[in-house]
Amino acid sequence: MLKYLAKRGITYLVMIFLTTSAGYFLAVSSLKPALLEQERIPRPTPEQVANSMRLKGLDPDLSPWERYVDWLTGIVTRWDWGRSPNGAYINAEFGDRVWISTRLFLASIILTLVIGVALGVYSAARQYKFQDRAITSYSYLAYIVPAPIAYFLVQLGAININETVGSRIFFVTGISTPGISPGWPQFVDLLAHYVVPTLAITLVGWGAYQIAQRQYLLDNVNADFVRTARAKGLSRNQAIARHALRVSFIPVAQSIAFTIPAIFAGGFFAEKIFAWPGVGSWSIDAISLQDVNAATATLAYGSVIFAIGAILADFATTLVDPRVRVQ
Amino acid sequence: MSSETTTGATGPARPEVERLHVAGLHAPADAVLSVRDLNVRFNSENGVVHAVRGVDLDLMPGKTLGIVGESGSGKSVTSLAIMGLLPSTAEVSGSVRLKGRELLGLSDKAMCEYRGNELAMVFQDPLSSLTPVFTVGTQIIEALTIHHPAMSRKAKEARAVELLAMVGIPSPKDRLRAFPHEFSGGMRQRVMIAIAIANNPRVLIADEPTTALDVTIQAQVLEVLHTAQEETGAAVVMITHDLGVVAGMADDIMVMYAGKPVETGAVDDIYYDPRMPYTMGLLGAVPRVDVAEKSSLVPIEGMPPNLLNTPTGCSFAPRCPLASDACLDGEPALASVDGQGLHSAACIKSDALGGDVDVHDVFAAPPVPVSRFDAVPRAERTTVLQLKDVKKHFPLTRGALIKRRIGTVKAVDGVSFDIREGECFSIVGESGSGKTTTLLEIMEFHQDQDGEVVIGGLSNKQAADAKTKARMRRELQMVFQDPTGALDPRFTVYEVLAEPLQNAGMDRAAIRKRIMELMKLVGLQPDHVNRFPNQFSGGQRQRIGIARALAVNPKLVVLDEPVSALDVSVQAGVINLLDHLRAELGLSYLLVAHDLSVVRHISNRVAVMYLGKIVEIGEVDRVFDNPRHPYTRALLSAIPVPDPRLERTRERIILQGDLPSPLQAPKGCNFATRCPVFAALPPAKQEKCLSLEPPLESVRPSAAAQALQNAPVHPYDQRFACFFPDGALDEDMLVVHEPAENHAP
Repeated sequence: MLKYLAKRGITYLVMIFLTTSAGYFLAVSSLKPALLEQERIPRPTPEQVANSMRLKGLDPDLSPWERYVDWLTGIVTRWDWGRSPNGAYINAEFGDRVWISTRLFLASIILTLVIGVALGVYSAARQYKFQDRAITSYSYLAYIVPAPIAYFLVQLGAININETVGSRIFFVTGISTPGISPGWPQFVDLLAHYVVPTLAITLVGWGAYQIAQRQYLLDNVNADFVRTARAKGLSRNQAIARHALRVSFIPVAQSIAFTIPAIFAGGFFAEKIFAWPGVGSWSIDAISLQDVNAATATLAYGSVIFAIGAILADFATTLVDPRVRVQ
Repeated sequence: MSSETTTGATGPARPEVERLHVAGLHAPADAVLSVRDLNVRFNSENGVVHAVRGVDLDLMPGKTLGIVGESGSGKSVTSLAIMGLLPSTAEVSGSVRLKGRELLGLSDKAMCEYRGNELAMVFQDPLSSLTPVFTVGTQIIEALTIHHPAMSRKAKEARAVELLAMVGIPSPKDRLRAFPHEFSGGMRQRVMIAIAIANNPRVLIADEPTTALDVTIQAQVLEVLHTAQEETGAAVVMITHDLGVVAGMADDIMVMYAGKPVETGAVDDIYYDPRMPYTMGLLGAVPRVDVAEKSSLVPIEGMPPNLLNTPTGCSFAPRCPLASDACLDGEPALASVDGQGLHSAACIKSDALGGDVDVHDVFAAPPVPVSRFDAVPRAERTTVLQLKDVKKHFPLTRGALIKRRIGTVKAVDGVSFDIREGECFSIVGESGSGKTTTLLEIMEFHQDQDGEVVIGGLSNKQAADAKTKARMRRELQMVFQDPTGALDPRFTVYEVLAEPLQNAGMDRAAIRKRIMELMKLVGLQPDHVNRFPNQFSGGQRQRIGIARALAVNPKLVVLDEPVSALDVSVQAGVINLLDHLRAELGLSYLLVAHDLSVVRHISNRVAVMYLGKIVEIGEVDRVFDNPRHPYTRALLSAIPVPDPRLERTRERIILQGDLPSPLQAPKGCNFATRCPVFAALPPAKQEKCLSLEPPLESVRPSAAAQALQNAPVHPYDQRFACFFPDGALDEDMLVVHEPAENHAP
């Protein structure tokens, strides 16, 4: 198993290297930070711009290949991902933002998965009954409504509650209130900031899992092996719980790989709307600010998250399905 | 499940209450399971389907009841109703009593106490009937845990090992931890049987337990079922469409048609003295593997009725050649045939059908067709297909990025044969023996193939350009196994048949004319050409498939299991059609089939394949009546014959295990690992089998025969690859069921 994971890890490393390199070439040949510099007031001379860029390792006169070699050497030898046109170090900024993104999404990913799968099982067991229809209709609605609109609706709801109660219970934007004393007050403040974005992302996210889990379980409810289990003397519900559930979870486990990176890297709406400056919003900003190194770094991060998700999915699949167990 | 136990529907003869009452009184006291007036209705989009209409049966401990019928006759629904496993939308009424306790109307939870404990069931498809994510051991132990929660873990494990050993799984202790996907189909069916008998059931229902298996494996599994019955003393219900399978096993038979039992009785009564035209037709529709006599099969025309409307007359009347107006007046009830005994039939003419009525006369079986080639000696006929040392080896590799070759799968390993004009040549063997790969190699027709394929004088070696291939396709056409999957559902029959003709470059008027000809030729109504395939029955669809193959006037038709997806009565019609077409059009057939009875009926010559090689080849009657290779002998002995007396006393060779993986093929004779002769040979002779590969050699008439003829006799048309064809068989692999043992009816 370890050997297998190591093998998969190496494969993904190669893939990450390739996508990141390709991304760098694309960024370096299309993003021109020097052009933005020239729009400053007072307008700097071209020599000044070139000089300032050269100091930050963003020399526009070098060929893309030369810059790629410089950039790669920096990463390999010093783990230095370069600098932004405004002079900030990518490493430092990345460290801050990754932590913010992780805090924003981790809880909601776990909640999304657990609630989605649980509701899927619940609704499948009550197929075509009122509960099933209500839950599944909601899931389709969550599918259709664009995420930003749903986020705004949750924000509005939270503001409404605040107004009704008359005091500010929830924060609808931001990470924390500056200058709060550590200990209990800080914890309450943290929670008040957390609740709204976590709730919003979870509410929108679980629909996909619910629909998939319900569908896969229903596919298996009338399977031959469930009938065999019933013929052994298990009741219908016992047979479904013990035999169909695990089989139906296999495809859901595989789909996790593709949703985790989507949430992380595609979370810029949530980050923008709730004003959590994470990796997702950074990647969008980097492109508009012609920031070659930041854009490439966010791309590399997306690839890494995808690889982690894929390995997790492999791991989960191996755990539930003996047919793919490796010797 | 419905909670009502009585029903408002009325039986045909007596009022319901009285009928149930009388039936209850007459139920034998020692019956383990008594079913009275079982009715099952399903709600469908088109209305209420009355799938089972009044089934009565009694099961005696240690006895076997065979339920026989075509698909849709209600056999499986009956068994599921007894088990309480029908979907909750099914409406079940009547009475099912297990040792006097009423089962119908019990809740799912209350039924759990009986299911798997006193009532057990083995299902048809072993591949999907075991949960893929649990070990075999877990699944057996689960059956024990449910009914014996107090049993210790150790005791349960010991019992599971004992059960696996009982059903014949080698090294049962290690296999406990194996997952279902590590087992072959036959092994999985054994596990299913082990689970079913885990708690010593009183009633064991087997629903087509061997339909999905090869004949050799079928023989093994039937043997296991037999052992299981002996060990548990259970009453067995054997549901099947194969009259051969139940002939040797069953004590009593119930023939079902359109949801009703139409004839019941002791097995000998049903097979030797059938009194219902449907039973007679079923028996006449099955070809026999043990009889050389050539007579046409009995086709039962038409289709079973749909059960949306209650039949007003006899449900079989529309298909019955003997039907008269009286048959349409009320549905006949099961009535005792001779006024006494248990043999009953639901036919108003049953008295007239006894004795020496020939089923071929009743059903007007067509005369045996005679081909113009039959009179010409084989050597003088043109060769339409010739294979010379055709090989297909697949490399077996391991590794994800860098593939290492760790072995070769010799799917087809040096096959040579030829087919002459007007003859039918068949290839038989277990799945995995290379039959289908041989067909694919012929259809491939490529220059780079290993070995030569000559089709109608065109060799794959000389030219493999598109033009030659197109010419080859006009010589050779194919009919596929699954008629439903082989026809495009969005094409009308006209379009299906027109496509090959358009490819051949015919003009519209000629195409139209040819299609009308074809429809008549295969026995379909020409005005049905604008229908879609789903508007036809399975047998009719296969006829469309045959018509498509014949469209371009090929000389050779390749038939890949052409009737295995069809019901017996329909199968007979298609086989008769194939026979007729061969004679009328002078066609040659290359047939691949696993059903040796069909092969014997239709073929002139046969080749037996094992692990990619032909082990015996020759004239069909010679090979089947006097098989020389031990594998051929085993195959033939494994096929059940629809003749109870013969079946009970027949000596059977039960091969051990499954077809070995091609990787483990031994250096010498491929078959040595499973060979009943090899097992009985002294070590010195065994050495020869293991080191040398036996060549395919002709059978020469003995010296005595030559002397008798006083002239050199031509060698028989039979060749086989075995060093010791006359060797004694290993006794462990021989099974004979003494008639007195348990089958006295």
